[in-house]
Amino acid sequence: MAAGVAAWLPFARAAAIGWMPVASTPMPIPPQDKRKAQDGFIILNVSGTKFQTWRTTLERYPDTLLGSTERDFFFHEETSEYFFDRDPDIFRHILNFYRTGKLHYPRQECISAYDEELAFFGIIPEIIGDCCYEEYKDRRRENAERLQDDEEMDMNNDVAPLNLTFREYLWRAFENPHTSTLALVFYYVTGFFIAISVMANVVETVPCGTLPNRSKEVSCGDRYALAFFCLDTACVMIFTVEYLLRLIAAPSRCKFMKSVMSVIDVVAIMPYYIGLVMTDNDQVSGAFVTLRVFRVFRIFKFSRHSAGLRILGYTLKSCASELGFLLFSLTMAIIIFATVMFYAEKGSTATKFTSIPAAFWYTIVTMTTLGYGDMVPKTIVGKVFGSICSLSGVLVIALPVPVIVSNFSRIYHQSQRAEKRRAQRASKEAGKALVGKSASPPFESQHHHLLHCLEKTTNHEFVDEQTFQANCMEISVVNKSGSRTSSLSSSPHGLSSCCSRRHRKKSSFSLPSTNNQELSTIQIRERPVSNSRSSLNAKLDETVPLKCDEAYISPSMVRLSAPVATSSDDASTATTTYSQSNIVRVSAL
Amino acid sequence: LSMVRHQPEGLDQLQAQTQFTRKELQSLYRGFKNECPSGLVDEETFKTIYSQFFPQGDATRYAHFLFNAFDIDRNGSIRFVDFVLGLSVLLRGSVTEKLRWAFNLYDINKDGYITKEEMLEIMTSIYDMMGRYTLPSVRDDSPFEHVEKFFQKMDRNRDGVVTIDEFIETCQKDENIMASMQLFENVI
Repeated sequence: MAAGVAAWLPFARAAAIGWMPVASTPMPIPPQDKRKAQDGFIILNVSGTKFQTWRTTLERYPDTLLGSTERDFFFHEETSEYFFDRDPDIFRHILNFYRTGKLHYPRQECISAYDEELAFFGIIPEIIGDCCYEEYKDRRRENAERLQDDEEMDMNNDVAPLNLTFREYLWRAFENPHTSTLALVFYYVTGFFIAISVMANVVETVPCGTLPNRSKEVSCGDRYALAFFCLDTACVMIFTVEYLLRLIAAPSRCKFMKSVMSVIDVVAIMPYYIGLVMTDNDQVSGAFVTLRVFRVFRIFKFSRHSAGLRILGYTLKSCASELGFLLFSLTMAIIIFATVMFYAEKGSTATKFTSIPAAFWYTIVTMTTLGYGDMVPKTIVGKVFGSICSLSGVLVIALPVPVIVSNFSRIYHQSQRAEKRRAQRASKEAGKALVGKSASPPFESQHHHLLHCLEKTTNHEFVDEQTFQANCMEISVVNKSGSRTSSLSSSPHGLSSCCSRRHRKKSSFSLPSTNNQELSTIQIRERPVSNSRSSLNAKLDETVPLKCDEAYISPSMVRLSAPVATSSDDASTATTTYSQSNIVRVSAL
Repeated sequence: LSMVRHQPEGLDQLQAQTQFTRKELQSLYRGFKNECPSGLVDEETFKTIYSQFFPQGDATRYAHFLFNAFDIDRNGSIRFVDFVLGLSVLLRGSVTEKLRWAFNLYDINKDGYITKEEMLEIMTSIYDMMGRYTLPSVRDDSPFEHVEKFFQKMDRNRDGVVTIDEFIETCQKDENIMASMQLFENVI
């Protein structure tokens, strides 16, 4: 809760007087404010720059250096001020945090300097306001990455630690060629052989002149079949060895085998082995020829050598839905126009538009403004629709493509940012849960007292969702067995158990209270139960309030131990012995 | 987003009108100004602030009634002087004055009588603040029953309305109510 809203708590409490005449039950005693707010100035001298603020402003956040007694260590007697030998520019933001409840991150400051100051003054960065949080996290991440890169570079320049197993060493050599000369050599050799293999596949199909005893041209592949075969064998052997080595070295073999690169590796070398197996069978040799097409996948092995290729692959993957939509709309348009053209050209003689699928080709060529001219409409209607087709092709293709490109760029950055923000939010919630953004303990106890007064007014209690639902089921059970009520009242140990059971017992006691009897007598009877909720040693005749402050979780786990005890000290002689882990209720503050 | 800015009357005037000391008024104004730099609280802001104290339920309806109780001149916004006058009654006023204030809160149309309908609205809004997850769970007729109990207690001549005199008289006879009226003396 913002510090500002805390300023309205006295108002809310005063307004609670409006509930008093209609209250069903007597009100709990309010928590005592042990010290009246001594509202004096505090002078903070930060490296010569003097800041002044109210004492209560600083004490809003008692978990920090300035809000707690820790600042006494910096008190300078002679000048009667608190002296800090720190950066005054950054301190300005820290002091603003106390004033407004929001911590901002100044963009011009260095992130590490800022972090250091926050750490010194005991402020957790997770409470940086939403306006500056993203920037802060980005800068922090960049910084961390930079540090990591520096470390990696140092690591790479070092001699490899000897305690790596051979397997780890091998994997490291594969993943990062710069670790050792051997890895670098291996990297270049495989790159070279990939290039050789791809080039061989290409050259193999070039016509190489005629053989002496034949009249037609033969391709180089057929002419120098043996040479190409030897080359292919060598390449495949290298690739197989590489694949097996990677498989052995991989830390997680299953994960490795499922990765894209390994699939590409397998697809690249499979045709050769299948070819070896199948050469003698004429029927499948045709299929074998098609398999050779897959050899072109070897070119994708270059993506291990090129980061850019990897990024392209990733971006295509992340942009898949946009591309899919483009494809879908194109398909729709193609089908529509092909149908129209087919029926338009049906009448004309010797038309090339023999069927709608045949018209697809025309539509695609026209819409992409290629216009090969192998299929042209002859009828007037056909020409009219043909021109509409090419015009709409310009629109359908040319317009979305830049939109897709910019869309893609925007979505790419946005998804990065959304991911970042999600991760940030998760860590932010975790951080918030860890430390109080909430106000001081007196505020908490006063707020809980206010909520307690409301409970007393309506004679209902706040519970959390689980207990509520557990109770809905319990009530039906308890309703049937009225005799349980008496037995429950006399067993103290049952009430010291976990809160869920306490609440179940409580529900059985609520049954008498719904009768329209004298409310006061019921309250006296209920008192013991409620008292024992807060302690095991409660005196039954005390009309002591429930300190169910403790039952409300404040998001601050830092304050688990002390304040609760102090707030209930004067209110009841009973000690609050139950553990905080039995907290059932949640306050969102 | 209105650029209306309101300045309160002088400190001396406020001191004369209320029962707060100078220092208390200063501290109150600082908190007020911090939250509402324009010097005015409109109903929406008021509802937002008040709802923050009751996270489990819906406090907007009750905040509406509370707003009307503070906004004495019915101009749609609470100025600092309204704020401080109301607080002065609640925190430093006599029990009779506090009871009058409460009566004014319940009397929605400010006609001097609390009818069952008005009380039912107030009661419903209070129960709304409890939210869904309560023990025992709030039934649909809980507010109605509560109102019946209230009228049974307060409506002496059984004419279906509660007048200010009946209200004050009955409350003064009830110890619990008298005790709870003194509860928030030292809030400021």
